[in-house]
Amino acid sequence: MTAAVEVFEQERRRVLRRRRAEALIGLLAFSALLALAFQRSEFFSADIGGDPLGRIGEFLARMVPDLKAEALLEDRQARGSLAWWYYDLPLWLRTGWQTVEMALIATTAGAAAACFAGFACARNLMPLAPVRFVVRRTLELIRTLPDLIVALILVAAFGVGPLAGVITLALSTFGSLGKLFAEVNEEVDPRPLEALEASGAGLARKIRYGVLPQVLPNYASYALLRLEGNVAAAAALGIVGAGGIGVELQRAITYTEFDTYLAILLLIVAMIFLIDIGSEQIRHRLIGLGAKR
Amino acid sequence: MTPADMDQALELSPRAVRPSWRDRVLRGLIGALALAALIAMAVDVGVTPTALAAGSGKLATFLRAMIPPNAGGELVRIVRALGETFAMAFAGTVLAAVAALPLGVFGAKSVVPQPLLHFGFRRVLDMFRGVPALVWALIFVAAFGLGPFGGVLALAIADVPGLAKLYAEAIENCDEKPLEGLRSAGAAPPVVLRYGLLPQVAPLMASQTLFFLESNFRNAAVLGIVGAGGIGFELEERIRIFAFDEVAFIVLLYVVCVAVLDTISQRLRARLA
Repeated sequence: MTAAVEVFEQERRRVLRRRRAEALIGLLAFSALLALAFQRSEFFSADIGGDPLGRIGEFLARMVPDLKAEALLEDRQARGSLAWWYYDLPLWLRTGWQTVEMALIATTAGAAAACFAGFACARNLMPLAPVRFVVRRTLELIRTLPDLIVALILVAAFGVGPLAGVITLALSTFGSLGKLFAEVNEEVDPRPLEALEASGAGLARKIRYGVLPQVLPNYASYALLRLEGNVAAAAALGIVGAGGIGVELQRAITYTEFDTYLAILLLIVAMIFLIDIGSEQIRHRLIGLGAKR
Repeated sequence: MTPADMDQALELSPRAVRPSWRDRVLRGLIGALALAALIAMAVDVGVTPTALAAGSGKLATFLRAMIPPNAGGELVRIVRALGETFAMAFAGTVLAAVAALPLGVFGAKSVVPQPLLHFGFRRVLDMFRGVPALVWALIFVAAFGLGPFGGVLALAIADVPGLAKLYAEAIENCDEKPLEGLRSAGAAPPVVLRYGLLPQVAPLMASQTLFFLESNFRNAAVLGIVGAGGIGFELEERIRIFAFDEVAFIVLLYVVCVAVLDTISQRLRARLA
């Protein structure tokens, strides 16, 4: 009995020792990496003034607009009014709408292409293995390319403007939705498909009456989720010249109008928030509908 | 089922098999309207076949120039820039985690049970969760000068709302029983947190933070574009002078590094879970 306890205790000590050693090594590696990261990224570097917190405070003070309570509701000419802060609101709203348009077009185009890709690489619907392989690898390749690098190259090719942004977003939407749609396709209930096949339906009818009714709510839900992300991404793409409200952000920075930057930033936040709420409502209804059927 | 049965079934619910003409026309009309609206939008932002055709020739030239990829004799510089990009991603993620921890605790329903406060706090986090890192980076670089400092801050700020939300959910979803057990055994509150809560939430939080590190490294290229240095800067420079063979080389190397980091981080996360 005591021998067994002795063996157990030895084993326990061994496990504990190993665990402590592992934790120590992990901690050391983490600290070394952290020190190196802060050193390489010049976070506390003295030649830009050191004192990161102080500089952040100074910057915040420059970003907050100089609003005056007594002049808040006056017109653009009055310093310190809301209208003075948002002095170019009509233009910002117009370019903001352009951003939304970019996201809508890109999401639709990307989702439409993804529909085909999703069928072409679903194991249960595409019998030709080489086609599946090629489509899958293509989608993977597109997903690994960072959006902004693609945007930069496309801006160089198509010139400054929303077109480059739309193509970028459509591509990345295609890459991510193609994979998701294929996964949805592979999870459909095979029984309706078998019934259709038994009654002599071809591939087109099998997809139309067997697959689509099952997958469409999921497709729409994924596409809407992607739309939310695309609105935010489209706003950012403007910064590299791809059109929309991001161009105005870039302009505010060029003229070092930090308070204007905050104004546009808040507008973008509100815009993304509104789109999110709308799309969330529709998505929840779609999923509810899917469950009822 | 005989044809007679079918007829009877059709009579009982004629809309089961084919929709009415009214529905069909309505559906077609809505579809046509949506399509028209989409085309109008496309024309409004300048997405037209002519514009597409005009740029595709140039794009094809660019793509042809990418083959074969070529380091242009600056491999060392490129690797250093990749290291800098990773440093920014790592520092940004750690800062974000440090800032998100108290926010996550405050945002957990089990810690702050007041529903209005909880709801408002979560909504504010949700609002800022959508702002891309590039939008923060642009203003931080303008404010703090060229260099990685602005980039690190931008990544950190962009991550805080998302991380705080995940941390809050981790705390909310933890099992109450170990905490109750410790309390009933007379443990002091810090001890309850250390032995009841921490073992439950720490692995989850660590794994979520690693996930953010992966995505930050993937997105950190954007920071160079607005002047925060790193691999994005090298890329932008070369795109500007149309050195597309070097662009292709950097992108390939970067994609490989991202894949390596993803694999390491996935291993670590699998061990944590």
